[in-house]
Amino acid sequence: MLGALYALFGLGLSLSLGVMKMINIAHGDLIVLGAYLCSTVMQLLGTGPFISLLAVVPMMFVIGYVLQRVLLNRVVGRGALSPLLLTFGLSIVLQNLLQEVYTADTRSLQAGEFALQGFDLGGVSIGLLPLVSTLISVAIFAGTSWLIGHSHLGRQARAVADDPGTARLVGVNDRNFFALVTGFVLAVIALASVMYGVRTPFSPTAGPERLLYSFEAVVLGGLGNVWGTFVGGLIIGVAQLLGAKVSSGLGPFFGHLVFLIALLARPQGLFGKGSR
Amino acid sequence: MNSIALMNGTRPRKAGRAVVGVVLLVVLGALALAPWFTSFATQRLLVEVFTVFAMALAWNLLAGYGGLVVVGHQMFVGVGAYALFALSNRLGINPWIMLPLATAATALFALLSALPMFRLSGAHFAVGTWVLAEMLRILTLNNEWLGAGGGMPLEALGSFDRWTRNAGVYWSALITGVGALFIARLMLRGRLGLALMSVRDSEAAAAASGVSIQRAKLALWVIAGSITGLAGAVAYMNTLQVTPDATFSLNWSAAAIFIAVLGGIGTLEGPILGTILYFLLRESFASYGSWYFIGLGSLAIATMVFAPGGAWSLVTRRWAIDPFGVRRDMPRR
Repeated sequence: MLGALYALFGLGLSLSLGVMKMINIAHGDLIVLGAYLCSTVMQLLGTGPFISLLAVVPMMFVIGYVLQRVLLNRVVGRGALSPLLLTFGLSIVLQNLLQEVYTADTRSLQAGEFALQGFDLGGVSIGLLPLVSTLISVAIFAGTSWLIGHSHLGRQARAVADDPGTARLVGVNDRNFFALVTGFVLAVIALASVMYGVRTPFSPTAGPERLLYSFEAVVLGGLGNVWGTFVGGLIIGVAQLLGAKVSSGLGPFFGHLVFLIALLARPQGLFGKGSR
Repeated sequence: MNSIALMNGTRPRKAGRAVVGVVLLVVLGALALAPWFTSFATQRLLVEVFTVFAMALAWNLLAGYGGLVVVGHQMFVGVGAYALFALSNRLGINPWIMLPLATAATALFALLSALPMFRLSGAHFAVGTWVLAEMLRILTLNNEWLGAGGGMPLEALGSFDRWTRNAGVYWSALITGVGALFIARLMLRGRLGLALMSVRDSEAAAAASGVSIQRAKLALWVIAGSITGLAGAVAYMNTLQVTPDATFSLNWSAAAIFIAVLGGIGTLEGPILGTILYFLLRESFASYGSWYFIGLGSLAIATMVFAPGGAWSLVTRRWAIDPFGVRRDMPRR
């Protein structure tokens, strides 16, 4: 179940990497931002975390669109270095803004009774919440994969990913399109951040670790492969849970270790194409 | 005509060189004598300046000349510092003698870490190094022998009186900073520098001309890692205590990246200018807490967008100067 969450973290990263060839270092901090926005909406309107998504998802979409339009579009296509450093700066700004607005205290999203419900399935007790988050995660993955494969937007995405110059030539407005993609990515992040916030308490500085997990999921699964990211996320999640069983402090370490070993064995990722 | 132009071109340059040389000697002399006429606080700040400068310089060599963007730069800092503390404490030997050993340990670590890291490239490499640094942090956090979460103090330094300790650390830092710059210049003017710059400009063309890309990058990786390791070791001689969370903190990378970005990536002058800017900003605004970091981050973003070449590019745009003589131009006729 943790893995499904990491997979969802990774999906956004995988998309921006695949389409725009940029890694967003602030990805993790945007996840935390989503969780904080959600908690604000819950406080203001007194709704539950999942209802608050109705407001948070559009909000994050707009933030993503504007962010890409105003800032990130200026450095896309200038090689790997510029976007990386730009988003690194953004990450520091976001972390400290969150700290300033929400203080450094940890918070969590209260899902009420829903979080505690569960049922027995052949002797194994399954929590309702993890089950629902996993189902949502699978649904989003299926939706995204369908969008990329079959819709007009997906065709544009694949065209730009293959050759941005030619795509522009045949009439793809890539600046606007990139902004839409980032908006979509942030909408996915919003969904992921609610499940994350319901599951674990978070603080303004929790972002970078989220980024690492999402990154591992993406690289493990292989680039440009949506379902690969899903499996990658599952593997990292399982490795962390097993690691935590061996020694409580070492959970994330085992996740990293599995990632590193997999990298040595298959640099192109588990489902990546052979070419480099 | 031609000979006059030539003479006009060379004579002031020679005189200029002599002036620059004298100024440099005076500045270096003054810095070397600093322990006799400055306070402990100033010296400690200068130690920080020199060590952070060396780290930023190393980061800039990797990113600007080797195309190896590193976000987990703190791993070298941590390995260097922990190697020094562990060796000195366990063997009970004067830490200054151990500095070369700590540097060698970092070099060895760099060599080993290249094995998984060099499988990645570009942005993946960048985040991959971060994963490695995170792993090292968690490992030291859970290792009793290395003091676990509390870290360990540098015991062997306790036997020196305060002045000797401060001055010794200060001189080590000065040598680290100046030495790093010297090595970087030597490297860039030599074969390795030529190979690296050709790789940076076009990997395919470099490979076609017979440059071994992997070997050049590996050499750079080990050199830059060693410089950073030494700087990390000296920096923690200054604070006398290593802890996993501080020593393997992303803040080291962040400082190096800010300095290189502000000063100018892919130049030797950039880190110098960047370090001065960084510490000026820090000393004047650090009391603002979060807002200081917000400002610093925004400044880095603005630099990337409006002046990707950093502050040094604003200088060279106006005056064509090249104090280190590492820029290679086409032979002019």
